Amino acid sequence: MSLQSIIMKLQEYWSEKGCYIASGYDGEVGAGTMTPDTFFRVLGRKPWRVAYWQPSRRPDDGRYGENPNRVQKHNQFQVIIKPIPADGQTLYLDSLVYLGVDIRSHDIKFDEDNWASPSLGAWGVGWQVMCDGMEITQFTYFQQAGGIELNPCSLEITYGLERLAMFLDARNNIYELEWGNGVPYFDLRFEEERQFSIYNFEQASIDLLRGAFRLYQQEADRLIEQNLYLPAFDYVLKCSHFFNIMDARKAISVAERTSLMGMMRGLSGRIAQKYVEATGGKEGVDHG
Amino acid sequence: MADLLFELGVEELPAHSVPNILGQIRDLFQSKLEQNFMAFDRIDASATNRRLMIYINEISEETAIRSETVLGPTKKIALDEKGEPKIPLRKFLEFNQVKLADVVEIETPKGIYMGVVKVIEGKKTEDLIGPLAVEVLGEVNFPKAMVWNDSRVPFLRPIRNILLLFKNQPVDIVFAGVKSSDVVSGHPLLSFDPIKVYSFRDYFEGLQKNFVMIREEERKQKILGEIAEIEEELDANVRIDDEILEYFVYSNEYPVVFSGRFNSKYLTLPPEVIAAFMINEKKLLPVYDRNGNLNPFFVGVSNIPDENRNVSRGNERVIQATFEDAQFFWNTDIKDDFRSLRELLKNVVFQKELGSYYDKSERLVGLVDFMAGETKNFHLRDKLLTAAALCKNDLLTRMVREFPVTQGIMGGLYLRQAGEAETVWKAVYGHYQPKGFGDEKLDDVGAGLLSIADRIDNITGFVSLGIKISSSKDPYGIRRDANAIIKIIIDFELNFDLTPLIRLAAANFAKNDLELGKTCHVLHELFRARIESTFKDNLKFRHDVVQSVLAGQWLSVHEIHLRAIAVSRMVETASIEQLIALHKRVRNIIRDFPTFPFSEELLTEKAEKILFDIFKESKPAIVDMILRSDYLKAGLAILEMKPVIDRFFVDVLIMAKDESIKKNRIALLQRIDELLSKIADFTSIIEINTGE
Repeated sequence: MSLQSIIMKLQEYWSEKGCYIASGYDGEVGAGTMTPDTFFRVLGRKPWRVAYWQPSRRPDDGRYGENPNRVQKHNQFQVIIKPIPADGQTLYLDSLVYLGVDIRSHDIKFDEDNWASPSLGAWGVGWQVMCDGMEITQFTYFQQAGGIELNPCSLEITYGLERLAMFLDARNNIYELEWGNGVPYFDLRFEEERQFSIYNFEQASIDLLRGAFRLYQQEADRLIEQNLYLPAFDYVLKCSHFFNIMDARKAISVAERTSLMGMMRGLSGRIAQKYVEATGGKEGVDHG
Repeated sequence: MADLLFELGVEELPAHSVPNILGQIRDLFQSKLEQNFMAFDRIDASATNRRLMIYINEISEETAIRSETVLGPTKKIALDEKGEPKIPLRKFLEFNQVKLADVVEIETPKGIYMGVVKVIEGKKTEDLIGPLAVEVLGEVNFPKAMVWNDSRVPFLRPIRNILLLFKNQPVDIVFAGVKSSDVVSGHPLLSFDPIKVYSFRDYFEGLQKNFVMIREEERKQKILGEIAEIEEELDANVRIDDEILEYFVYSNEYPVVFSGRFNSKYLTLPPEVIAAFMINEKKLLPVYDRNGNLNPFFVGVSNIPDENRNVSRGNERVIQATFEDAQFFWNTDIKDDFRSLRELLKNVVFQKELGSYYDKSERLVGLVDFMAGETKNFHLRDKLLTAAALCKNDLLTRMVREFPVTQGIMGGLYLRQAGEAETVWKAVYGHYQPKGFGDEKLDDVGAGLLSIADRIDNITGFVSLGIKISSSKDPYGIRRDANAIIKIIIDFELNFDLTPLIRLAAANFAKNDLELGKTCHVLHELFRARIESTFKDNLKFRHDVVQSVLAGQWLSVHEIHLRAIAVSRMVETASIEQLIALHKRVRNIIRDFPTFPFSEELLTEKAEKILFDIFKESKPAIVDMILRSDYLKAGLAILEMKPVIDRFFVDVLIMAKDESIKKNRIALLQRIDELLSKIADFTSIIEINTGE
């Protein structure tokens, strides 16, 4: 099955289950979790059901196009359901059936994998879903975001689309996948992986990144003071992405890592607070 | 017959947590039944990662009738002259809602009290069982809990179903917003409809039909049996340790072993790296040929039968990608000059107050330098200094940053790759080993010495920060480190005094002598406690034997071990009773006295002169045996003096009128005690009558 068919099928399935189908976020993010459709909407009491396809960047995972399974940019399909449904696991397994998986003949396991994003002050409890040994999904019960304890909690399902496609297509190599209608993944992505790996590991200007990081940080800080928490969050995401490139460049010492993470956590915490304050009435945020 | 069947249906619990949680629930049921005076036959408990089952049979249908004594005021203050109750008694009557006629006098060790004896009627178990189960669930503890619904009740993973039957009838309860039912779920992939349960037998049959093997032991045997078949088929060995076996047992409700193969081109990677990746990253077991060489096969455990080889083929694809990763990290890391990474360790914090890993490596250099001398491994000294300096460099490699479990091993392999001497790389390779007493002996003494240095540095560092351990808390693994040190010393028979090493390690952190003394004291207590526990639990020495060899001053763990072995041997023979009798008799006399000087001139009686002559004659040989650590022989040699000592006790009045003669006789016995105590404090051995 092609990647685009998987995306369309998942959109259909989750739309059927009451999700609003969002577009992915239009800037670099490390994961679907970091986008406003998740980060803000899991806060507060208002129910929320959303599903979207989100390209995600992990500079450190680049392999110059030489690894059959790892890339510095991959595609996620993100689902948020708030509050947590009692039949979340079944909903998920049914989505695999909808994609044509015979779940009775594959070893599908919910394997302990708790999730935490220190820079977003977020954590959750859950599993990586393994299918015949391949991690195809992260299944998480969100407990905290932006340093705020969530009530109600949300279910987050994050499909790794390439992994899922490799499983469905029984492919050994990511570059053998088909995006859709005969367009090979290789043609779309290989050169991008090669160039970005060279950039991320060898060519990225550390001085530029560090300087820009500071400017973004100051901008986020300033915008929070102006109560412009949405643009402020954009700048935190930019910080996060630049942090990841610097990390791939091995330009961050352990001590610096702790301090930069703490800084981003501080900003996202304040942004979450602003959001809760601003939407408190409308969303019925529980201040107790 | 009343019985109780309980199943808690949950979403997948982490495999390693299942035995603990099941144990807690079983213990809580037991203690709650006992507290409520309900008799029962036995508690049967089994679990998978998706269900925790408790079955209790022959529960009494009513709680036991019993009487309870309630004490009121003392007799003295209870009644006035007319026999009317005074205020304290009146209050007591009111509070307990009893009449004066019910009050009786109750004798206690503290005097006579007024009080009542209440008869508590039995209650119907049926009415109590629901609330009891709710209490049980509410008291389970977790390291990290979560909430998932409006009840906000924390549990380890969401609870999805509660089955509670008493006398085969459903009992209604609600816990964490989940109502009890009379159904359970089957296998998550192979069974769809809920299984209705009418009885314990139904439960078992229903699960069996729906691909759930509820018994841990059955799952374990199935796994081991199928692995053995594959070993036979491939003419190979599959290495499986307890940790991963437990993972398999508690991650599958219907375990099926499968095997697969991978491209042998990856066998150019170091076998340790391949094995570490397979086990830790993919939960697959490496396969070795009969000579211990890695084969391009793997074995894993699936939760479904793999009739179409989907599982096997899927894992084959995944393992290949994992090896590609390993290859990438390996190739990236060996491009760097491994030795020069040390400088960068200055930026890597070991522990905030304890400096960087560079600082730690400096300390380790000092410690192994000292230990090479203490353990007479002078020839290893220079190599060990290099190993200590470089042993933490691998923390900066991509491989270890990505897969921390490979630390140490990778350092060793990268040093080997960089052309370091075998002594150096092997010491680094093994310095995080052993993990516990169950591990095999390290094959390299250098690794053992570096491991001791690293761990003593951990322990003294954390202790000097004031970190304490308790029975449930040991976040820095202090206990594990101390146990490992003990194991290494015993494995390599390292005969050295632990005290100077502790002092040296502690001096790295102590700001003054007072602090130094404090840390040393804590470490001494710690090691005494760890020796006591590991000797008893891991090395299976008798408790009293361990007590007897730890009674006095001890310096060398190895010596203590040899003494424990010798005393254990003695305990198996008749000689132990004589040694115990002798030592007790001597101790009884000298107990209350300080040590006196001894003078041969002050001996007057024949029996004491003979004793001294014999003592003088045998002592050098006995001391020599002790110095050669031949404690068994030394014990027997002391025992040879027993007839003369017995004679001495019969013929000589120790508490002589002449104070100097009395002191001299006590001094003689003190010398015998001193000799005995060099082996053990035999007075703490418990005699076991093996006779008729």
